[in-house]
Amino acid sequence: MKQFIRKADIILFIVLVAIGLAASAALTLSHGEAGSGAKVIIESGGDLYARYPLAEDRTVVVPAPKQTAVDAPQSYPDDPAELQYDYYNVVVISNGKVSVTEASCKNQVCVKHGIISRPGESIVCLPNRMVVRIENGSGEGGGYDSVTS
Amino acid sequence: MTQSHRKVSGRKPLSASFIARVGLMATLALIFSYVEAIIPYNPGVPGIKLGIANVVTVVALYKFGAKDAVAVSVIRVVLAGFLFNGLFGMLYALAGAAISLTGMILLKKTGLFSVTGVSMAAGVLHNLGQLLVAAALIEDLRIFFYFPVLLFSGIAAGILVGIASVLALRALR
Repeated sequence: MKQFIRKADIILFIVLVAIGLAASAALTLSHGEAGSGAKVIIESGGDLYARYPLAEDRTVVVPAPKQTAVDAPQSYPDDPAELQYDYYNVVVISNGKVSVTEASCKNQVCVKHGIISRPGESIVCLPNRMVVRIENGSGEGGGYDSVTS
Repeated sequence: MTQSHRKVSGRKPLSASFIARVGLMATLALIFSYVEAIIPYNPGVPGIKLGIANVVTVVALYKFGAKDAVAVSVIRVVLAGFLFNGLFGMLYALAGAAISLTGMILLKKTGLFSVTGVSMAAGVLHNLGQLLVAAALIEDLRIFFYFPVLLFSGIAAGILVGIASVLALRALR
């Protein structure tokens, strides 16, 4: 009671800090890696266009909402990549990585964005109003609106 | 003082001196709670606070014993809940108080730790208790993303409260 700090205090302090560091390291790692249930969410024109598991390889042609009926394809080929649109983005999911390989727009920002693989990352194509993002599959939406204290 | 204290904590559970003493300390703790509630600061993460009122709990524990500390803490938490924090805040605080008091009493019994160390552990345990209640209420374990933040803030707050308690105990001796 006479002293501010004893040896056991310092040991306890170190143990607690170690637990904290280990926990935060574990949390950042588990948060940073896409879990097995991770989903690729594709939005077009603000609406959900498609949702695919990140683990499955596929190529998706996402038509932009400004497509006219005339532009829409009349027949559906086996390979979805062969679908013809005037305005589109081609999203490729491969080995747990997502990229936009082709886009009808002029600036090609989404193509240059490169590869995303972690939950929370996204690729956006403004001219075609398309968003591709990765979410961890546990539960809908994820995150909280608020927490009371 | 110590003589009468021994008698109080021995047989008669609610003697006049116990009631008076706990009433005084609970009032003091409540004032600390109020002072803390009106200080405007926003740490960003809910659950982070200094908890100056716990100085009174620590002093009660070391000067008068576990029973006084528990009584002061419970009265303070319930009253502060009704007055400032709301019922949910009270629920969180009760869980935190229960787990941190248990930890403090046990750690004090080992005789290894100083007041600062016991208080530091109590700060961490308090936040852990709140987190457990929050996880139970929200029914989602992802709230444990808060754990490291609350752990470190608990360490810091506990140390500060502990140092203040040591100073208070010295002045009271």
